Amino acid sequence: MAAQAVTGAGAAWARNLLSWARPERLLASCSISLLSNIQTRTYQQNVGRWEKKNRIVYPPQLPGEPRRPAEIFHCRRDIKYSKDKMWYLAKLIKGMSIDQALAQLEFNDKKGAKVIKEVLLEAQEMAVRNHNVEFKSNLHIADSFSGKGHYLKRIRYHGRGMFGIMEKVRCHYFVKLVEGPPPPPEAPQTGFDQAKEYVQQLRNRTIIHTL
Amino acid sequence: LSASFPQSVEPLLSPTRLTRTSLVVPVRTKRRHFIPPAVSAKHLTPDEHKLKARAAGIVVPYEPPERPINLACTAGIFDPYVPPEGDARLSSLSKEGLKQRAEKLKQSAASQLAIPKVKEYDPDFSTKTFPEKAQEIFIEAHNCLTNFNKQKLHSLVTERCYPEMVRGNRYNTIRWSFVESLEPPRVVQIRCPTMVNKGNLYAQVTVRMHTRQTLAIYDRFGRLMYGGEQVPKDVLEYVVFERHLVNPYGSWRVHGKIVPAWAPPQDPIIKTVMVPGPVLDPSQEFDEIQYEIPKPKQTQWYK
Repeated sequence: MAAQAVTGAGAAWARNLLSWARPERLLASCSISLLSNIQTRTYQQNVGRWEKKNRIVYPPQLPGEPRRPAEIFHCRRDIKYSKDKMWYLAKLIKGMSIDQALAQLEFNDKKGAKVIKEVLLEAQEMAVRNHNVEFKSNLHIADSFSGKGHYLKRIRYHGRGMFGIMEKVRCHYFVKLVEGPPPPPEAPQTGFDQAKEYVQQLRNRTIIHTL
Repeated sequence: LSASFPQSVEPLLSPTRLTRTSLVVPVRTKRRHFIPPAVSAKHLTPDEHKLKARAAGIVVPYEPPERPINLACTAGIFDPYVPPEGDARLSSLSKEGLKQRAEKLKQSAASQLAIPKVKEYDPDFSTKTFPEKAQEIFIEAHNCLTNFNKQKLHSLVTERCYPEMVRGNRYNTIRWSFVESLEPPRVVQIRCPTMVNKGNLYAQVTVRMHTRQTLAIYDRFGRLMYGGEQVPKDVLEYVVFERHLVNPYGSWRVHGKIVPAWAPPQDPIIKTVMVPGPVLDPSQEFDEIQYEIPKPKQTQWYK
């Protein structure tokens, strides 16, 4: 098309024009997009392993089997909080029922408590809506822990021209809700139990390599 | 379906190549073989740009940002069939039952007019043989749904019907089986709507099917959510099949279902669901005994 329309002087000049008169380049300077340049694909971020655990599908249960409790995995990534400080809260609610956990977090003064409470409410909503959980209070927290998120490095200025590298810490928080009442807490081992174990160990002794 | 850009905004060229003149200045410098365009750039208004481009004879092909959209199915059911009350309730031996059974296509004039239009594009079409084929397509589509055969399902079900069949079932296991057909299926309505252009014909055929089926849906964890595998249910359905007549490679596909207003309510799902209660003032109290849970009005709807 350009070849037909060129009326200027010199075939070489025309060929030069042709070589660089690419529509995309020209249009880029005028900020108009060509049809061929329209990208319709959306690229997703990497889906983490914890989120993928919500995608496993179990085969249908036979009528005689005990009912499998529903497991819901939820997490929040890159929370602006320290993973060590978050660990205290995660350990606090692990093993509690969801109502008890929400109550404890509501009246906790830490910054991470608010975040964890939001995460638990989100997970509860997801459970009822998507994962066929019947009663939203019938959930307990089977697993809850924090992990290291992406850190940013900044300069911390000291006196005398000294500096330190400051880390802006972030953490992830993971929670696994399981349907059903929370498991009863383990009874602490009494002296009597310890004594029984000791006696059992003594009784288990045998003499080897004998008749 | 295509938005066209305004013609005034046209691509423009940089004028440097156009305005380069060979000036011979007697200066003892090294001859530059290549002068980059940005050196002698002059700022021109868009109109001057256009004039220069036209003078140089450089034409950039005008590609309007249109995307061709292929309509392979219509968006809904045109002129939905209103099934008569008590269609499958009366026994076929009584007088009323016989009258109902004798209701043929001849009643509806529009359907009669539509038949020759359909036969023009699909010579094999006949109201006698079509219902059996339609039932086969219906059964095959449901089997593909249980086997997650999405490729084949797309060829048996239109694009409008596919999301309605598949929504919410990504992590659910469906077990469906067709036990038997209680009455032979028959065509009750034919319509030939057009979309966008006048010549773009589609054919929608409603087929009445009275069948026995079993359905069991299991959730992500394998627990029964709805139905039962050993419980066959009698089902009266009005299934709409569609075909893009103008397309030579078109085929009859399931387009949707019509649920009449007098249909019996479906079985409730196994789990209990919370329904949002009435909005109360802080001073009011919620009266559990007096309050009635509102039930939805029974109207005909199609899906």
